[in-house]
Amino acid sequence: MSMLFDILSTSGILFIVSCGLLLIFGVMKIINFAHGGFMTLGGYVPLLITQMDWNPWLSLPLAFVMGLAFGAIVEVLIVKPLHSRPLDAILATWGLGIIIGQIITLIFGRGVQFAQSPLEGTVSLAGTDYSLYRLALVGFALVIGLSIGAILNGTRLGLITRAVTMNESLARALGVNSALVRLSSFAIGAGLACLAGTLITPLSSLDPNMGVPWLTNAFMLAMISGTSLVSLAIACTVLGAAQVLVSVYVSPILGSLTIVVLGALALRIRPQGFARG
Amino acid sequence: MADSGASPAVSLDSNKGWNRSNSGFVLLVGAVSILIASPWILPEFMQTILIRACLYAVVAITVDLLWGYTGILTFGQAAFFGIGAYATGLVFTHIGFSPTMALFALLAGIAVSMLIASLVGILSFYPGATPLYATVLSLVLPIVVTQVIFSGGTFTGSSSGLTGYESFNLSIAGWLWLCGGFLLMCTVLARRFVQSDTGRLLIAIRENESRCDYLGINTSRIKILLLVCLSAVSSVAGFLYACYGMVVAPEMAGFQFGTEILIWVALGGRGTILGPVIGTLLIDVSSAYLSGDFPFVWKLFLGLSFVIVIVVMPKGLLPAFIQLVRRGKFTPGPSQQGRLQVAGERRLDGLASQGNLALSVKGVQRRFGSLRVLKDVNFVARHGELLSLVGPNGAGKTTLMRCISDGRERSDGEIFLNDHPIGKLSPFECVKLGIGRKFQTANVFHDLTVFDALAVARTRLDRPSVWERTRVISLPLPAMSIVQTTGLDALLQMPCRLLSHGQKQALELAMVLALEPNILLLDEPTAGLTKPERTEIGRTLTKLAEEHKMCVVLIEHDLDFVCDISSRVIVLHQGEIVLDGSVDEVVHSELVRDIYSGSFGMPEDPADNVKEAS
Amino acid sequence: MNVSMWFRASLLASASLVAMGTQAAEPIKIGMPIGLSGANSVVAPSVVQSAELAIEEINAAGGVLGRKLQLEVADDGSGAAGAQKAFNSLIYQKKVDVLISMQTSAARNAGLPIVTRGKVPYIYTSFYEGRSCNPYMYVNAWVPDQQVAPIVDFFMKSKNAKSFFLIGSDYAFGRGMLDFTKSYIGKKGGKVVGEEYLPMDGSDWTAVINKLKTAKPDAIITSTAGGAPNVTLTKQLRAAGINLPYGNLAVDEGTAKDMGADAEGIVISGSYLTNIDSVKNKEFLAAMQKKFGANLKTPNDLSVPQYEAIYLYKAAVEKAGTTAVDKVIPALSAVSYEGPRGLIQMNKQRHAPLTMYLGQVQKNGSIKLLESFQNVEPGNQCPNLK
Repeated sequence: MSMLFDILSTSGILFIVSCGLLLIFGVMKIINFAHGGFMTLGGYVPLLITQMDWNPWLSLPLAFVMGLAFGAIVEVLIVKPLHSRPLDAILATWGLGIIIGQIITLIFGRGVQFAQSPLEGTVSLAGTDYSLYRLALVGFALVIGLSIGAILNGTRLGLITRAVTMNESLARALGVNSALVRLSSFAIGAGLACLAGTLITPLSSLDPNMGVPWLTNAFMLAMISGTSLVSLAIACTVLGAAQVLVSVYVSPILGSLTIVVLGALALRIRPQGFARG
Repeated sequence: MADSGASPAVSLDSNKGWNRSNSGFVLLVGAVSILIASPWILPEFMQTILIRACLYAVVAITVDLLWGYTGILTFGQAAFFGIGAYATGLVFTHIGFSPTMALFALLAGIAVSMLIASLVGILSFYPGATPLYATVLSLVLPIVVTQVIFSGGTFTGSSSGLTGYESFNLSIAGWLWLCGGFLLMCTVLARRFVQSDTGRLLIAIRENESRCDYLGINTSRIKILLLVCLSAVSSVAGFLYACYGMVVAPEMAGFQFGTEILIWVALGGRGTILGPVIGTLLIDVSSAYLSGDFPFVWKLFLGLSFVIVIVVMPKGLLPAFIQLVRRGKFTPGPSQQGRLQVAGERRLDGLASQGNLALSVKGVQRRFGSLRVLKDVNFVARHGELLSLVGPNGAGKTTLMRCISDGRERSDGEIFLNDHPIGKLSPFECVKLGIGRKFQTANVFHDLTVFDALAVARTRLDRPSVWERTRVISLPLPAMSIVQTTGLDALLQMPCRLLSHGQKQALELAMVLALEPNILLLDEPTAGLTKPERTEIGRTLTKLAEEHKMCVVLIEHDLDFVCDISSRVIVLHQGEIVLDGSVDEVVHSELVRDIYSGSFGMPEDPADNVKEAS
Repeated sequence: MNVSMWFRASLLASASLVAMGTQAAEPIKIGMPIGLSGANSVVAPSVVQSAELAIEEINAAGGVLGRKLQLEVADDGSGAAGAQKAFNSLIYQKKVDVLISMQTSAARNAGLPIVTRGKVPYIYTSFYEGRSCNPYMYVNAWVPDQQVAPIVDFFMKSKNAKSFFLIGSDYAFGRGMLDFTKSYIGKKGGKVVGEEYLPMDGSDWTAVINKLKTAKPDAIITSTAGGAPNVTLTKQLRAAGINLPYGNLAVDEGTAKDMGADAEGIVISGSYLTNIDSVKNKEFLAAMQKKFGANLKTPNDLSVPQYEAIYLYKAAVEKAGTTAVDKVIPALSAVSYEGPRGLIQMNKQRHAPLTMYLGQVQKNGSIKLLESFQNVEPGNQCPNLK
């Protein structure tokens, strides 16, 4: 039973971490290697909030807005000039991740720190005790997923974003401002990354490089999902389950490899990802 | 046909007095002297740093060869370095140390690295793979290797790594000579390699892999071979590192290290070999001194420089520096002299020997989901014919041409080249069957010279050397005459990107003819050409069909041109052949007029159309 | 020409005299490679503070052999790769006279070959898994032979524990400590129902906790790297609702305080507690409070040995009359120092007999003393070294 909760919460966490990357990958077809850096940035927001004695729940919107702002700046300065050089965009965003890490170190110090969880304690469900916060994250994943879905399907920005995702040149020929779409997608993706960082730090610890281990899992999931949020949710559930099962029955170390290895193999079979249609 | 044996050679001498090989030699002598003298002129701390930096620089060379020259962005060379190091650590810890054991460790590391490299290569470089996938795999590799190391418990030392094993007892000076010498050797070999024919081939693959595919070059195999060989080199560097440091830790195989190497190569100057070497040495030594006192600022500075270089100066700092020194003088490519000669007449062997029917297309369909671009296309073509494919935009002409030259493209039906079925063969295999394809937009190699481009085109038939740079290339007569009539023979040293549009088209045609095909596919050969150029190319194509007995198939929109030169015309409309006949028949056809004026009827009544099978 | 020759000679002579004079006043450099980043970064600041206090006190009293002590700190990243850089930099670039530091076992093991090559004395001040031997190294902190028994005995006697679940960080320390623990439990008639490891920097203990729940042990004993892994593991254990008897072989008082409410009930065993009732300890605590005020990091079992080690080095140099390594090494086992932990002498195969304390973390973060053991021997650590 506890295993089921593990799977659910792991899938939820993976979804929260990857959705921002998926948005950027779907629209711009590049992988934002600064994703880890944005997550780290978001992770330090609760620390700031605690230092300033504000309500810990404030860190969520604050992180998102911060991510939006930084994401927009990065898109204009770094990503746009590299439009035609996707491999170089990967490198440049990785470099950006390094810069973010160093700036954080300069401000907060390089040591490991800890953030308080806004939701303490356990909850008794179906016979076992389980961490309340982990379960809450599943809820967050649903809320975030549904919100993005609502924006994509219900707003004009969402509509032109989907158009650019499917066929950018055609969309531009029809008068869509693809530069605006790219800017907004990157900014929102960065915002989601920061939000993800804020949400996951209470689970473990905080240091200038905490986002990096999530990066590989996130982009593997994003690449498998192609361009669809639903695919992402499915991928997170399937691969999240695989990770938990391997971690428990084989070893936690090989478990952490399951997503990247299975992802690489899946992409070999179906290079364009598993999005339907 | 061609005069065999005669060689109206066109030669071009570009004597440069103080040429590159002289300056290279001086550099080498200088480097060797510094290396020998270093234990006396450098402080001990810097020597210890340099020992490691030299080994890192060797790995940087491998990354430069993969990324700078061949265009494969790789994070994975660190994994092979780590494998070499761990093989050594494991052998020395669990078996013991001795010169024999050291040799065993060295060979074991190389063997494991090469095995893993071949697996990764086969996975990453399959025909049709995207560069992004290869990069992603190269990122996954070091992660997997690190985690495997972690899972090894006390056998691999897990997080602690392995330490305390015995190793060679050399002084610091001894290690410096050894590792510095190893670096020098690798640099010299790498420089030699990149200036050889194969080096040029790697650049061609980077610039335009698709063109290389269609020149009959098995790019997948080349990339896999390159990766396997370079993995061995990294492994040796890892071996030396483990012997010197007497510690192996999981970070040595990790992807953080892998990205560091990329940073050194990018900053130093990708695609130069010397740039990454100097970059690595400088940055590593500076880091050692500065990161003690200003750790964050130094790393921040590196990160910033890296991003700025990627965005603004992608070639790196060394080339920018050199350009500053030479004040932007036009420096021609690596080839110094080049000479062309006519190839002896070659009997087309094997699959490409002239078949009964040059080209046979049966029931070919191409679907994209529910959209059918080609519906049941049937026709044959013979050697000596000059067949033009016409039709309005969207009729499926280019798609058809793609299906003929790439066995994986069509959804249904059969295609035979020289009586051989193409099944699901990839483009480079189709070239072996005798076909050559010229693309719509001039598809040559940006940075290579005209001479280089022609040499690359000859790769399939004249094996390139791994060592030498061949200065004489043989072109078959058709290719040679194109080169001569268009004046390209006077421009052998010109980089392709500086050619005029018409010259690029001519060069591409010459390259395709250099393949010695007997079926030629041309996609809009007159696009963007001037009237005299058009007449010229018309004459050439006619000659190819009539004199050289090739089967020439071209897609054209210029109907006057079509009428002038074609022996036969096929009209394609909405994925089906609506007319297949002589020029006269097509010119006087009402159907064709209707199609082009847009007043053609509904697609549902193709039965009303005249469809002549030939 | 005679005059100028004499002039030149006397100039040279006075110059060398001045040089020798400045040589005498040249500081003695103490190198400190330590985990300012990585797993140990939680603990490192407290260790650096101890070192700074010791050096300040010694310099105020005139230094060692008339020379001042100078501290050179380098970040070893809490791991092997970083340690290589840190040791290299301290030994070859800063040219330190001695290395005195607390480090993870991964870092220590990586640094030892460089210490041997560089011929520098090295006092290792961290508790560790034992049996690390090097002609240049001394250890003044505890080894499992001194630390494990009290915890296991306590659980078996007072909590009636028969089955144990062991969790550790996967490196020399984690493995070494739990190996010793496993055999000790076996010797005492208990059973180990599970043994799980994560890499040193691992922070997701979900799978391990899952296995723990399935195994249903009577007690848990953990041995992770000091610092971050302790915190994440405890956090996640409590979040999963686990309240079994919990013995932590590798947590110091400071980290326990940082853990807050999560740490309540953890049983620890070590050679230092802030509430040790001795004159020296009270003086030490007062001096630390005075020097660092609000920035004081709780002195703990990883930081106090650092303070004592510097004094031990001072004693050894004064006994040997020089900082030359071949004289200092034998002197280090002959000298002793009365510090906050009592009388410390590293004379048992390079290790030191210590007084050990068994304590339990309270709700407010303080440690309640359960039992103390005088003069526990370190056992057979380096039989081949004197």
